[in-house]
Amino acid sequence: MFELDQRISEQLTEVSLNSSVQVRCGNSNAFMVTASTMIPLMQMFEMGGVYICATRGAVEIIEAFEAIGVDVSNIEFVDLVSSGILGGTDVDRPNITFIDSPIMLESVLLRTLYILRISNSERNFVLIDSVNALAIYNEERMLAEYLHTFINTFRQREVLSVILNVPDQVPPMVLSNLDLYCTDLIDRGQVVIH
Amino acid sequence: MQPATVYSRDRCITGIHGMDEILRGGIPYGSTVLAAGTCGSGKTTLAMEFLVRGALAGEACAHFTATEPSVKLLENIRQYAFFDMNMIDSGLINVFDMDVLYSWLGLDKASFDLDDVHALIKAIVDIVNTIGVTRLVIDSVTTLCYKIKSEQLIRDFLFTLGKKLATLGCTTILISEITSATENAHWSSFGVEEAIADGIIVMGDVERMGHLLRFLQVVKMRGTSHSRAKHAIELTPLGVMLTPMLKWGAVNDKTSRWGS
Repeated sequence: MFELDQRISEQLTEVSLNSSVQVRCGNSNAFMVTASTMIPLMQMFEMGGVYICATRGAVEIIEAFEAIGVDVSNIEFVDLVSSGILGGTDVDRPNITFIDSPIMLESVLLRTLYILRISNSERNFVLIDSVNALAIYNEERMLAEYLHTFINTFRQREVLSVILNVPDQVPPMVLSNLDLYCTDLIDRGQVVIH
Repeated sequence: MQPATVYSRDRCITGIHGMDEILRGGIPYGSTVLAAGTCGSGKTTLAMEFLVRGALAGEACAHFTATEPSVKLLENIRQYAFFDMNMIDSGLINVFDMDVLYSWLGLDKASFDLDDVHALIKAIVDIVNTIGVTRLVIDSVTTLCYKIKSEQLIRDFLFTLGKKLATLGCTTILISEITSATENAHWSSFGVEEAIADGIIVMGDVERMGHLLRFLQVVKMRGTSHSRAKHAIELTPLGVMLTPMLKWGAVNDKTSRWGS
């Protein structure tokens, strides 16, 4: 039986559409924390949204949600992973858009904005999964700049941004900037004391 | 104290997502703008959207195509949600094949002399005047100017054409094909187009770790203040979309470089 973290949904009642939420998780609880964030947004707050997949391909994420009985057909997925795998984009799912590479950060932003322009939902979120995966491909300064732009773009448009990360593996500059930009923190991350 | 009156020229609102913001309200009315770009950078799409947005606002528009047949051009543009074939049927968008125009004018020849150039200008201006065109695109001025052998004649052609179209209140985009959009490149094939144009929009690619990102940059626009930053663009079914390019993603360093 899959158990959601109910305290996350309680915390989400306190955020508004122009909030930006940093969600910290660990390696072992990443999907549980993601699902505990996504499910209330979709079901309790009846929001539409865009899920930016940089950690795993969109199909794998959709199947993980389906396995716990959650329908994500009204969520649009922007997949940054599958184009890097030969045959990865040969998928017949209408709610997946593929971007060539996680380094094309501006394209990710524009594609997300495009999806939101054609969205029927009045209340939307954008979720980045995850900062860690983007950090593999993007230089620290560029990623910090991007997240700054990304969060402010959606805050201005009253679209809730949710930024998922595993904190002890995020470049320090990016993490400290996230602490500064984000209005809320959901902390289910591992704390490693060196 | 009363604020000083600031003179502001009337604008041709492009309607392109983000473009009017970059231009602080649009292209100054009656300007001739050079849209210079490398192949596949989105020049024709940008220009077609400029016309379609004008047609949606009830303006008469014309597109002179010298690079691809009008049928092919329309087939390519039909995929965009903002385009409607009724715009053609109702005469708001008029597409002319330059080859057909050359035939009408008896200009089926390899190169043009002074009289030919004047005949061509007269034909374009007559069409603009007759239809009441307020938005015009010539795609491309590079292909057209290949037939004009002297640099002086090219200069005269573009200067006279621009002047006459401005008098008629027509805002014009001249598409220019360039092989490189690097910082030190010329923004035109013949080196004279950029000096004559009121505005220059450069389009090209930024290479980032083996991937090409399209960009657009307004280098010059007389009669308005404007952003001179590079903007990343995406060609979507809703038209061109722009966002400022990441500052750390477009620097000339080991990991990324300007241009294509």
